[in-house]
Amino acid sequence: MTLRALIARLAPFLACLGLLAVWQVAALVLNNDSFPTALDSIRAIPSILGDKESLVNILASLRRMAVGFAVAVVVSIPLGLIMGRSRGVASFFNPLLMVIYPVPKAALMPIIMLWLGVGDLSKTLVIFLGVSLPVIYHSFEGAKAVEEKMLWSGAAMGLSALERLIRVVLPAALPDILTGCRTGLVLALITMVTSEMIARQSGAGNILFNALDMGQYDTVYAMIIIVGAMGICLDAAFERMRERLVRWSEPQFDIPLSFS
Amino acid sequence: MNLMPSRSELKVEAAPVANPAIPMIEIDHVSQVFQTSSHQDHLALSDISLTINDGAFVSILGPSGCGKSTLLYIVGGFVNPTQGVARMKGSPITGPGPDRGPVFQEFALFPWKSVLGNVMYGPRQQGVKAAEAEAQGRALIEMVGLKGFEHFYPKELSGGMKQRVALARTLAYHPEVLLMDEPFGALDAHTRTRLQNDLLNIWERDRKTVLFVTHSVDEAVFLSDRVVMMSRSPGRIKQIIDIDLPRPRRRTELLLDPRYQKYVVDIERMFDDAGDAELQP
Repeated sequence: MTLRALIARLAPFLACLGLLAVWQVAALVLNNDSFPTALDSIRAIPSILGDKESLVNILASLRRMAVGFAVAVVVSIPLGLIMGRSRGVASFFNPLLMVIYPVPKAALMPIIMLWLGVGDLSKTLVIFLGVSLPVIYHSFEGAKAVEEKMLWSGAAMGLSALERLIRVVLPAALPDILTGCRTGLVLALITMVTSEMIARQSGAGNILFNALDMGQYDTVYAMIIIVGAMGICLDAAFERMRERLVRWSEPQFDIPLSFS
Repeated sequence: MNLMPSRSELKVEAAPVANPAIPMIEIDHVSQVFQTSSHQDHLALSDISLTINDGAFVSILGPSGCGKSTLLYIVGGFVNPTQGVARMKGSPITGPGPDRGPVFQEFALFPWKSVLGNVMYGPRQQGVKAAEAEAQGRALIEMVGLKGFEHFYPKELSGGMKQRVALARTLAYHPEVLLMDEPFGALDAHTRTRLQNDLLNIWERDRKTVLFVTHSVDEAVFLSDRVVMMSRSPGRIKQIIDIDLPRPRRRTELLLDPRYQKYVVDIERMFDDAGDAELQP
């Protein structure tokens, strides 16, 4: 049983190792210049992370991502919650969001670049757009599902409409909101790299594509590993926080339910 | 669990009425019209007038769809009547307030709060200090028989336990009137009986005014001083019956009491005659 638990815990790492092993073998078999082995690619990582300029670029990417994500979350959660509780607000915003939702945010990048240039603002805005929609949607669904009687109970205790939104709807919808944020976080990373592919000036995506242009394939693959690892770490950290915050909503079977 | 207070305690704690001329709750020619999904007007309540005195345990009894819950929501201030007015101690009810504490069939607990957190919520909202609210909360939790479950989340509790928490949460902010909306309707028969007994024991301590909505004849007669019988389509008061049975009531004794049996049978007959077949015995 403990061995099983250990294996279950290590499963993600084993999956990584497995993928790297397959890559290594495939690269050795194919023996192609544009397909370096896993080991070669991993060996290229320290030189990227050791290079000051690359590090500045990657940190700039992360900063844009953090800002875009944070602003999106701060704007989207209240909007989604209000939409979920007010029919009027929902019917105003819903058609708008329905139109924006399926549009790939990266496709808006050229227009945004025309207006706002190729700097931080454009890239951050694209990240913001990518993150907002799932967060709005999940906040909306979560707020809509809040039991009316729960709000009535709050009202009877003297909570005003605003207090009910903050102190009843927000916590009650938190599991949904955090699901949206988790999706948003991954989308932030995706739009971050995409925006830097389009507006090539700085950032992790820029390093990646510059290396591709110059035929430094080990750097290309190393960057993919770095960006992928960033995504995995961010997602894992977020998931940890999420579990902690919404423990009350997860089913728990190990607690005795008997009474008397 | 023995929550029975002594007789003398009851007398001491019976709160005097500030002004006996003004009833606790007054429902004055209230009608309620709902729009159905096919945009037709549905008369849920038709010209209801009812007076509830301080300290009375009044049940509203009727088949489903007779508007009895709507009437309770109007008193709670959760729903505004289409016509007429409901008053609390003489002033019109315009919205919910801590003087009227609801207990719903759906429990409506705050799932992100522990049992103690739920019970402390109302007092904390009203500015009671944390330590004091916690002490009172723990006492209430013990009173409803949940000592030891203070730090459980609602998710971890059975239906009966959730309803005990809901009752404690409402009692915690000292409402003058308890509004109970089929509170035991979702529970199994055994749990239901236990909660009825416990509710009566708790009620007999401080004799709060209770408005209790139910579709169970049995439950209404066992608990109440008065039973307001309603019929449906449109919801109207059919008859009001005073239940003249001694208190404190013991279920086991009452079931053998011919007076109790007569009340139950009479009420059931009245509903039978009207063809309200859905009523539960």
